[in-house]
Amino acid sequence: MSHLSEEQLDQIIAEERSREQTPLNEWRTIAARAREEGLIRETHSSRAWGGPSSQPWMQAAAAVLLLVGGIAIGRTTIGLPGAGQSVASAPQASGSMAATTGSSAQSDVARTNASFASIDDASEALRRAADEYQRASEFIAANNASGGGRDSAAIYSARAAALDQIVNATESALQTAPHDPVINQYYLATMGARVATQQFVARPVALRGF
Amino acid sequence: MPFDQLDLKRAIAGDERAMQRLWSQHAPHIDAVVRRLCGDPEVAADVSQEVWMQIFRALPSYRGDSQFGTWAHRIAVNRTLNALRKIRRLAKLEVDIEDDSAITEMETDRTFMAESIEQAMGRLSPGARMVFVLHDIEGYTHGEIGEELGITPGGSKSQLFKARAKLRKLLAHLVDESPIVAGKGKGYVAPV
Repeated sequence: MSHLSEEQLDQIIAEERSREQTPLNEWRTIAARAREEGLIRETHSSRAWGGPSSQPWMQAAAAVLLLVGGIAIGRTTIGLPGAGQSVASAPQASGSMAATTGSSAQSDVARTNASFASIDDASEALRRAADEYQRASEFIAANNASGGGRDSAAIYSARAAALDQIVNATESALQTAPHDPVINQYYLATMGARVATQQFVARPVALRGF
Repeated sequence: MPFDQLDLKRAIAGDERAMQRLWSQHAPHIDAVVRRLCGDPEVAADVSQEVWMQIFRALPSYRGDSQFGTWAHRIAVNRTLNALRKIRRLAKLEVDIEDDSAITEMETDRTFMAESIEQAMGRLSPGARMVFVLHDIEGYTHGEIGEELGITPGGSKSQLFKARAKLRKLLAHLVDESPIVAGKGKGYVAPV
């Protein structure tokens, strides 16, 4: 019977050594065991705003995404004037809100365009943006009484349902690509938007608005 | 995204996402070791769960003296060998290794042609497979293998010699048929 040479076997072994192999289990199996043993004490689903990412810069980046995109989309869907035209024509409450959020957006854009000295510097800027976003959201929720009504309620409900679907889709994607920064950003942004939208849906009609 | 010290702290604290990142980064290599040592994929899947539980349990003891992958790899090997002992495979193996008769020429082996080295390794006795995997694939010395398996370095060398001889025979047909090996060029394919 013929045999490989020692060198040929070494070549096959080298290829086997470098061969990529798939894990033997899925993460959900490992996670279930870890949860049973109490090794997992904090699940990503329990962090409503934090989402799946443990990277502060990613959370802050999602906040900026929400700050600029969410306000613009919200105004468009509800029929309010955009941030750039709202100061003069909008009611006083939403006008002051627009001024606040508009300046926030502008300052965020300015920071985004700025050159940062380090990752920490950029991360700090993003954290500040996240804080501004949250404060702006609270201000909007508390002060903007315009745009309330059955139509806007239906829009918020439809938006909440759509966001639920996006959250489900991105969660599924994260199972196979947990490190993908794009999917993580979409997931975080969607989670934040969903929480905010659900708050509007739950709010009495007279207090709704964006 | 590399697994860093911050992730490590979070994983120790029980952060699922940090633990998943750790697992995603290292599971391909860790599970490959487990799969090769066990031979049986179903057993390997069960053992892999035990390995990862042990890695997560031991995280607080990781001091960063070595690469995380190296540290986890050691746990994987030890845990796998322990698991195999528990299912009474290694007990027989350790006797067989010193007995120097671990590799038995089964009747079917005379005509068996392995389609891959993984399949061929499955034809080795458990002891010979472990010695081969630890030495030729994972880079352990015979002394280290002796300590892991409770055998002498000489016993390890003997098993490795026999394991390689059997693999050379089981994989002989790949020289002419496999594009992986044959594709290396005419100069590479020695007459067999």
